[in-house]
Amino acid sequence: MKREYVTFVRRLSSLDEGVQTLFIKDLTPGPRKYDTKLVRAQLAREPESLSQGDLLWIRSETGYLHPKAWGIRVLEELPPHVPGQPWQDVFASLKNLK
Amino acid sequence: MAVSDLRGFIAALERSGDLVRIKREVDWDMEVGAISRRAYEKAGPALLFEKIKDYPPGYSILNGPVGTWRRVAVALGLPPETSVRQLYAAYEEKHERKLSPVTVDTAPCQEIVMAGPEVDVYQLPAPMVHDGDGGRYIGTWDIIVTRDPDTGWTNWGMYRFMIHTKNMLTGWPQATSQLAIMMKSKYLPRKQAMPVAVVIGCEPLCHMVATDPYKPGENEVEYAGGLRGEPVKLVRCKTQNLLVPADAEIVIEGEVLPDRIALEGPFGEYPGYRSGTMGEGVLVQITGITHRKNPILTLSTLGVPPDDSSIAASLTAAIAMKRGLRRRGVPVKDVYVPPEGVTHLIVVSVERGGSRVARQVLDFFTARRVMVSKVIVVDRDVDAFDMNQVLHAFATKCHPGRGIALEHYEGRGNALTPCYSADERRRLKGTSAVFDATWPEDWEEEGVPIKSSFETTYPDWLKEKVLAHWESDGLGGRL
Ligand SMILES: Cc1cc2nc3c(=O)[nH]c(=O)nc-3n(C[C@H](O)[C@H](O)[C@H](O)COP(=O)(O)O)c2cc1C
Repeated sequence: MKREYVTFVRRLSSLDEGVQTLFIKDLTPGPRKYDTKLVRAQLAREPESLSQGDLLWIRSETGYLHPKAWGIRVLEELPPHVPGQPWQDVFASLKNLK
Repeated sequence: MAVSDLRGFIAALERSGDLVRIKREVDWDMEVGAISRRAYEKAGPALLFEKIKDYPPGYSILNGPVGTWRRVAVALGLPPETSVRQLYAAYEEKHERKLSPVTVDTAPCQEIVMAGPEVDVYQLPAPMVHDGDGGRYIGTWDIIVTRDPDTGWTNWGMYRFMIHTKNMLTGWPQATSQLAIMMKSKYLPRKQAMPVAVVIGCEPLCHMVATDPYKPGENEVEYAGGLRGEPVKLVRCKTQNLLVPADAEIVIEGEVLPDRIALEGPFGEYPGYRSGTMGEGVLVQITGITHRKNPILTLSTLGVPPDDSSIAASLTAAIAMKRGLRRRGVPVKDVYVPPEGVTHLIVVSVERGGSRVARQVLDFFTARRVMVSKVIVVDRDVDAFDMNQVLHAFATKCHPGRGIALEHYEGRGNALTPCYSADERRRLKGTSAVFDATWPEDWEEEGVPIKSSFETTYPDWLKEKVLAHWESDGLGGRL
């Protein structure tokens, strides 16, 4: 069974394929559903194109759910935060990590 | 007298017929939210969910403590049918009688303690409130406690907080909130973490006070004591140097980190939309969690009005606005925040109208952080609490060319105002308008249109005669 995750982006167009660092939420049912992880992961628009990949649902900043899930293969789990001062843009900080 | 803890309030709601217990098992994952949302939209009761999937028996969730005017009345210790105008007056009057808190050594909120590595916030039944939220919101009807390291002043605010991991929360006190001002001016320059407590499940008056925008230096806990007619008991946190209400159900203790951030939001918010505030909040490292046995988590499933925000918090906002307008010398009579206007639309009635007064009103609403985008100013003969009268005055007295004044601003607007573009929201850029529905000050009295109503058109002797015959004419009771 593939695991399922969700991630949030400002716009779908700001998400790229390939190796990315992103926050994902684990959709596995149970009392820890929606737990957050910061991961380095391989992303692909077509889930089938990723061997041993899981499913990544994508929501925009209004919570709009894009109808089609991408594929994700988690390569590495990182501590669940990024550098930055309170109220700074998390996405800008994520970009700077690369 | 009002009650001193949430359990006492639940009992009072039960007595007045304003609470329903949901005894079947419900899922914390959206089901609690869906039932709660529909209950608000049907002007239904507060809901106590007694059996939550994945959680031990006895753990429960209370949605909508003050989501109707009846429940606000119960919270204030008044008869449930008290009118909105009387509720406003009671709140305004009671909260001026400040009472100092008392500090205690042992507290119900510390019956169970988790600290350090034992901390696991997933042991509490935080709901996934709406489909599409950024995560499980544990702080929706909370009190966020922080302390000024130099003066010792403690601030209470109500801000949303979401579970990030088992020992981290992310939250969104707006960048213009007192918490933000304290963090930016006192802790960030020293690169220090700021102690914080997320307090959940007090009786509602403490929470309502937390939504009230007091100035720095004012002790919200004293106002809460005044409203209750009984001092609030405070206890020291187990892992932070902060005092919190001893009778709370749950306290999450931690630190706002000065140099690390994580994803927060989005969340279905009080204007009735999820309009896209995300990724610009704060990260809290949890250091301890304390709670009562069988804790009750308070929840406000925010959305379209009415709910706890558009009812109870509108009341606290209105009283604060009236205070502020008076301080600025505006001849204010009443301020009403209609729930349907979700604190974006405000009605101000004034003893003397005219464009100069309308401008003063607009200047007050746009001076600091701006949460309001539309203000209707009406003359004193219009009952500000009666939206039929307000709409009539607006339709007839507000000159479309001369009666609307605008103020544009950046850096202090409301990031949640749905009509702002994503870019405006991010830059806290906005515009507020005042609609002057008063007669111009320079019109001569003989030329001012005369309102054609029973009250204003006929001589007193005739009105008295009409009223004296009203019953015997067969009109009594029906009209
Ligand atoms: C149910 C509810 C939720 C709220 N959530 C937030 C929030 O997430 N962030 C925020 O800045 N204000 C929020 N507010 C408004 C603040 O509580 C209000 O502005 C209060 O004055 C903040 O305290 P402060 O003046 O000490 O900053 C909320 C109000 C209510 C009634």
